[in-house]
Amino acid sequence: MSEGMAFVEKVEIPKGSTLMVGLPDVGLVGVIALSHIVSSLKMEEVGSIESKMFPPIVVLHGGVPKPSIRIFAKGSLLAILSEMAIPASLVIPLAEEIVNWASRKGVKLILSMGGMAVQNRQDLDKPKVFSAISERGLEKHLNGITESLEEGYMVGAYAIILKRCSEIGIPGITLLAQTFFNYPDPEAAAATIEVINKILNLNIDYSDLLRKGEEIRLRAKDVMRRTQEEMVRMNKAQEYDVPAIYG
Amino acid sequence: MERRRRTLFDILDEYFSRAERIFESALESGWDEFSSCIEPLSNVFVGTSDVIITIDMPYVDRESVRVGVHDDVVEVLARTEKPICLDEMGLRHRRGRFDSYHTVLRIPVPVDKERMETRLKRGILEIRLPRVA
Repeated sequence: MSEGMAFVEKVEIPKGSTLMVGLPDVGLVGVIALSHIVSSLKMEEVGSIESKMFPPIVVLHGGVPKPSIRIFAKGSLLAILSEMAIPASLVIPLAEEIVNWASRKGVKLILSMGGMAVQNRQDLDKPKVFSAISERGLEKHLNGITESLEEGYMVGAYAIILKRCSEIGIPGITLLAQTFFNYPDPEAAAATIEVINKILNLNIDYSDLLRKGEEIRLRAKDVMRRTQEEMVRMNKAQEYDVPAIYG
Repeated sequence: MERRRRTLFDILDEYFSRAERIFESALESGWDEFSSCIEPLSNVFVGTSDVIITIDMPYVDRESVRVGVHDDVVEVLARTEKPICLDEMGLRHRRGRFDSYHTVLRIPVPVDKERMETRLKRGILEIRLPRVA
């Protein structure tokens, strides 16, 4: 345990699960996609991540206070979903602890959902979803489903999750949908769910994300703004850079 | 060095400054209930030949969008196509009702405002301003 971070579990977490992660990032893709998945699959809230280092925030749902980062489960699927922007100073310890916890719980695959900001997003009718993997061999899960990212920078929690997966040998896949840097993007979230459906053999209907796009964008405006402030602190814009060294 | 004794005015000044900062941070969310106005998310990108400003305005009434450039700022005003009510978003403790967007953004480099181009797609306004030397 680092930075006083604790994983509170209300029930026994089954071994051999697939863990999906949705944290606030560019376009809020992961948060929008995973909250839709959690709701569509009626996943049960089974725990939370707590830390005295987190901002003093609880989210009220149905009049009841809920932790900002919750753990959900259904069958062999787990989900970690954050409703608060992660302070830049906590991105590394949180991401590392998520992977360490997953390792202790015998998770067989970590599937993170994020975005990749592109300047021409407004002109893309359907955003593409790319993937980054923690180890060679995972491409077989993704053949023909996503294009893989071979070169480039990743900045933020998903970068650390992938690195930590690689270090301790947990298979990790990060999905990165083309998105806006600082506008909530339900269309990118829908494209991500389409890919998740194929990887995990699910059949989640994402049409609501497209139909209610404007409402979602408006509701997510404030979380996006807070997230943008943290992304600036962690130099997220470096993802636009071209690496100097090839291979 | 001898410290100057704080006067009552210093203490009051500090108090009001702190109150002002708290008040400003409470309004930071961009939902201004007094003017029924939302401050939209925005982005200013300085390219090699253009400054591209985008503004995210869900439910915007496209006919109502007004863009003005004055010196080094761009000001955007627009109405929403329907009133946006906080209680319809599940917030029972606030009674905000919003019907417009307003933002003022600084343009960081000189631009030719006469050659400004705008387009609105999916509720995102794009303003393109050519740079001048």
